[in-house]
Amino acid sequence: MDHGRVQLEPCWLLSARPYSETSLLVEAFSERHGRIGLVAKGARGAKSRHRALLQPLRPLLLSWTQRGELAALTGVEANGPPPGLAGERLFYGWYLNELLLRLLHRQDPHPDAYRAYGEALAALPGAEAEFALRLFEKALLADIGYGLDIPEDIDPALRYLYSEQEGFQPSARGHCSGRALIALRDGEPAGEGEWRTELRRLMRERVRRQLGGRELETAKLLRQLRARV
Amino acid sequence: MSAYSPRLSRLIEALRRLPGVGPKSAQRMAFHLLDRDRQGAQLLGETLVEALGGIGRCPSCRMFCDEGENCRYCSSSRTAAGQLCVVESPADLMAIEGGTSYRGRYFVLMGRLSPLDGIGPEELGLDRLQAQLAAGEVQEMIIATNPTVEGEATAYYLAEMARGQGVRVTRIAHGVPMGGELEYVDGGTLAHALSGRTPV
Repeated sequence: MDHGRVQLEPCWLLSARPYSETSLLVEAFSERHGRIGLVAKGARGAKSRHRALLQPLRPLLLSWTQRGELAALTGVEANGPPPGLAGERLFYGWYLNELLLRLLHRQDPHPDAYRAYGEALAALPGAEAEFALRLFEKALLADIGYGLDIPEDIDPALRYLYSEQEGFQPSARGHCSGRALIALRDGEPAGEGEWRTELRRLMRERVRRQLGGRELETAKLLRQLRARV
Repeated sequence: MSAYSPRLSRLIEALRRLPGVGPKSAQRMAFHLLDRDRQGAQLLGETLVEALGGIGRCPSCRMFCDEGENCRYCSSSRTAAGQLCVVESPADLMAIEGGTSYRGRYFVLMGRLSPLDGIGPEELGLDRLQAQLAAGEVQEMIIATNPTVEGEATAYYLAEMARGQGVRVTRIAHGVPMGGELEYVDGGTLAHALSGRTPV
């Protein structure tokens, strides 16, 4: 195999945007190569065969040659059907993609995050879609070295406060219930209740810290749209 | 240093702004205009200036239209049809207008929802669309966004908006192209075609 030449590598497509006149700049996520930026030459042209395949959230087999920062896409094949996402769930998928685009560097393999992404995407059409987002946030933060260390001896009846220095400590002023933390730690949803909101706030705060205080565009857009309909 | 005189290189740079025009084609165009068709060049220059000053956006459908004149896509006969077709771009509008017998009104989004590019409801003029739906002249909203992931998400929100106003919503069908062969159609398109089948 040539150096810098990759054949039929399983990837998820994160984003595809117009690049020069008829090409696409594709961001993909692979297990062995991490996030990769690829130029799909001529993919926006009328005769392109790849256009239908080069859609975000689609599992693909990609071939490319890597030269410098951007790789040249040389082949595209489907690697399974697109995830059956519709309506708001599409935004959930975009949210996962935006997290990867913002938090991972190109050509930096993250096999754990890759696995977590596949699991999250598979769970998005189901009833526990929001919880799947929380589990993915947890896995991704852990993979880039900012994991939440949730202790074994959490009491579901207590409230907990998180600090960078001491981690989770029981406190009456705590923002998060023990029940929520146990659900997140074990990856088991705990039925209905406030715990979902608590986890969303906790994770949003943790993610925002990694993004230097900036908000994710997908979350902002979804809020704007919900306010309208 | 540039191989051209300053004015010539400005002209070539300016021509390169056109889509599909690289340095070679721009040079060819510049030489053609200067050498063979100075009158045409004059016309081109004047027309461009006139167009920039005199073409704006129709406030109701967002399509390009001459300033101070009524938009040809928002005539009263089109309004009377009670149909509003929502498309992503002016080129999409022209495709429907030229290729189909549809003669209702349009709404041009000038894009599609795309959080990763920061394109949201404001950029697409959804407030204006909502106001038109609320005004009660639209009986059917036809969604003709592209069958891409972004187009689908946009369609979903357009449909929610219309339903909120009690307006009937339809979506253009997508499936096998005319003259196409099933064998060469990609799986996603074929799946859509099959799930969207109609009784005959």
